Amino acid sequence: MPPEPPSAEHHVLPEEFGDLYDRHSRAIYYLALRYLGDPQKAEDATHDVFLKAIRRLDQFRGEATARTWLYRIAINHCHNLQQAWHDRHVVASSDSAIWEITPGDDSPLRILETKELGHRIQITLDALPAEYRLLLLLISDQELSYGQIGALTDQSTDAVRGKLHRARKAFAAIFAKTE
Amino acid sequence: MKQQSKLSARQQEEQTAELRAAKAAGRQFDSVEELIRYDAGQTLVPPGIAQRLRQSISQSESPPRGWWRRLLD
Repeated sequence: MPPEPPSAEHHVLPEEFGDLYDRHSRAIYYLALRYLGDPQKAEDATHDVFLKAIRRLDQFRGEATARTWLYRIAINHCHNLQQAWHDRHVVASSDSAIWEITPGDDSPLRILETKELGHRIQITLDALPAEYRLLLLLISDQELSYGQIGALTDQSTDAVRGKLHRARKAFAAIFAKTE
Repeated sequence: MKQQSKLSARQQEEQTAELRAAKAAGRQFDSVEELIRYDAGQTLVPPGIAQRLRQSISQSESPPRGWWRRLLD
């Protein structure tokens, strides 16, 4: 089980928002990047999430950690973005279309390898149900416990464990096919 | 029942083998979480976000005092 987050960040003041950004922006950006699958959308979403957080700072009571509070804003924001996108487009089956994508070949080897890994992870996550994708992204953050993930996704800890078991298996099976 | 646990164990072995086979940049990963965590560690936050945030705050009516100045440092 991931360790419980430190309690030192329970009282966040406006003056400390720079620290908040420094500490959590990577986690929020990564969640948005891999959940939405688009770097530009992820950049916009990260900006919007922190802007919302700044404007709602008075609503942050310290009942959750700053990390889970920001994640909640980010998850809602990403869900809304995806819902808006789905309302405007007919969604193609990721199973049939996604395999046609191939990694780029115009970068130095190390960067190519790193990009390839990210590309394969993105393809795999895109092929998963959105709920599995979100759970895997959240459980990979060592600052979150199963209980916190359950609270963020409105389900019990047992439900999180069960779904994560299935999500890991599905991820592994799809990831192996991206080689 | 016994057959089911054997099947489950075999599936788990296959899953682990697939992940271990997932070499990237000379690394092997023992779990999905480790793989994703590594990817997250390689991902940099675009510096333009902090700049945009600073601009957005400066355009709002009553920006929170002081925090954004750190983004300029």
